[in-house]
Amino acid sequence: MAVKPNEDARPFEHPLYDYLERVPGLDFAITSVDKLLTWGATNSMWIFPMATSCCGIEFMAAAASRVDLDRMGSIVRGTPRQCDVMVVAGTITVKMAPRVKRLWDQMPEPKWCVAMGSCAISGDFYRDIYSVIPGIDVAIPVDVYVPGCPPNPEQLMAGLIKLQEKVRLKRAGLPVPKEERPEALERTITPRIGRIEERLKASAQDPVSRAQLESAQRLYVRVPVEGGVPEVKPAKPTGGAE
Amino acid sequence: MAVAVEAVATAPVVPTKAFVPDPYLDLDTYEADADLMTLSLGPQHPSTHGVFRVVLYLDGEIIVKAVPHCGYLHRGVEKLCEKLAYSNITPVLDKNDYVAPMLNEQAANMAFEKLMGIEVPLRAKYLRTLLAELQRIASHLLWLGTFAMDLGGALGGGTSVFMYCFRERELILDVFEELTGCRFHYNTHHVGGNRHDIPPGWPKLVHEALDTIESRLEAYLVMLEHPIFVDRTKGVGTIDAQLALELGLSGPLLRASGVDHDLRRDAPYGVYDLLDVQVAVDGGGDCLARYKVRLAEIRESIRLSRLLIDNVPQGPLSATKPLNMVTQFKAAAGQVYVGIESPRGELGTWLIASKDKPTNPYRFKIRPPSLHAAAAVPYVFPGHTLSDAVAILGSLDPIMGEVDR
Ligand code: SF4
Repeated sequence: MAVKPNEDARPFEHPLYDYLERVPGLDFAITSVDKLLTWGATNSMWIFPMATSCCGIEFMAAAASRVDLDRMGSIVRGTPRQCDVMVVAGTITVKMAPRVKRLWDQMPEPKWCVAMGSCAISGDFYRDIYSVIPGIDVAIPVDVYVPGCPPNPEQLMAGLIKLQEKVRLKRAGLPVPKEERPEALERTITPRIGRIEERLKASAQDPVSRAQLESAQRLYVRVPVEGGVPEVKPAKPTGGAE
Repeated sequence: MAVAVEAVATAPVVPTKAFVPDPYLDLDTYEADADLMTLSLGPQHPSTHGVFRVVLYLDGEIIVKAVPHCGYLHRGVEKLCEKLAYSNITPVLDKNDYVAPMLNEQAANMAFEKLMGIEVPLRAKYLRTLLAELQRIASHLLWLGTFAMDLGGALGGGTSVFMYCFRERELILDVFEELTGCRFHYNTHHVGGNRHDIPPGWPKLVHEALDTIESRLEAYLVMLEHPIFVDRTKGVGTIDAQLALELGLSGPLLRASGVDHDLRRDAPYGVYDLLDVQVAVDGGGDCLARYKVRLAEIRESIRLSRLLIDNVPQGPLSATKPLNMVTQFKAAAGQVYVGIESPRGELGTWLIASKDKPTNPYRFKIRPPSLHAAAAVPYVFPGHTLSDAVAILGSLDPIMGEVDR
């Protein structure tokens, strides 16, 4: 078999590919296999929990019975070498950051990182403290930000679903929307869509808060409910025990 | 639970020589021909409950020396609190002991009130005590789940107990969410009282949650009959009363060592003086005793919570005006210490106020019970096998947010 030298624009492809492309029906098979692999990759995202503090407890709650990440195929493993996703949950200190980086380097490619909670995103209110690093993305690349202090388990799940979507797009060769880092504001974001929309209007001039709000909005996608969203009236405190 | 334990032939692990644990052991003077191995447990290890690191020196499988390292979660909380006004400190302290945030809020606010001479209304006192007891149940349930996970497959499949405990813990968190709007990090205490009043229908919710938990608690006691569980905990990690007192242990660890001490009964705060708190004491000093004490405390907390929720009096919830200014609360110069019984032991707050800064603390010192539990590691680990080390650490239950602050 004559092997063509790599003169075209695909320097990293195996020379055999050229031959394989000419086999009838093989491209269809490869596409199917590729779909299968994508399905496998997105539904078996094993998680390495980089759980350092309070968000780690909420991460445990997400892995436990009520929310149960296992049903997404996201099993929590204790060693980085078997995992695809690192969930950084909690404050990362100057002393801890090199360890996080080292564990991240031990994970096999392809790998993704989810920053869970304000501390992992930006350092929360500890960001000015001498011993805390302002967000884990100064050390490792982050794919999805899940804001909150701490985010509810459901929010973490939404973040993981978003990550699955990202992986799907990437494997299909489609452009992946870039995730903006939500910058710390003086105010904490409350996950209420109505309010976020209002704030989006108000913060049109401020690119930083806009990026944060948009990211939050992407995360809490409002699901259309038939017949409109029911009004929830806050309960009036009666001031007495029942 | 009929498990054929006899079939599992476990050769007893015998240390090479009669071992006297010495936390300051000089490794150079240890047996010359011993082949020592150094093993670093943590800071990222599924069973160190956070970012705790212990360097173990092993002779075969026996630990001869253990050196704990902390500081991987040092967030400068005490320094941060000095910069904040009294009204702004509470949410920061929530993140301190993140398994029992209610108790942290209560400890700090009690110190502020003592310093400013504010008397909390009775309704707020009842509510605070109730929340503390509910939080104690949630905290102990989380401990039980993670402890059983540390013991691994000893209980028939690594994570089953963990799953059950979290199922029950969620009930308590639901109750808190109904009251304060948060699953944890509530920010519901403030200087002079509480922020969130009891919503209608809430007492019924609490009763339902307590009933469910109590009915399921029976299942956990089956663990006591499980021979593998007993094997892995009985006689493991024994701390005698003398050592416990010297180390400054408190809470369930001290009571499991046979010392009858509980701040809820011995130095009552809140409305504990109106209640008859039954203190669970066990003389075993080992992991099994700690398990028994904590389970008894869950039962006691359920009983106290029921008493409290039925008797919350009417009246104002706060002695101070609603917050309209950050610098609303001012303290005269002085210093106070307040200690309360958190699920892990005596949680103390030492507060110094100076003349120059009436709105901020001059020095804000936290006495975390977990720090003392973590300090027990070099005394308890030596002489045990590596697998026991994980069980002991689990039973000591140090929360690193509190240790490193
Ligand atoms: S974001 Fe909040 S809950 Fe999460 S680790 Fe930081 S302080 Fe704790």
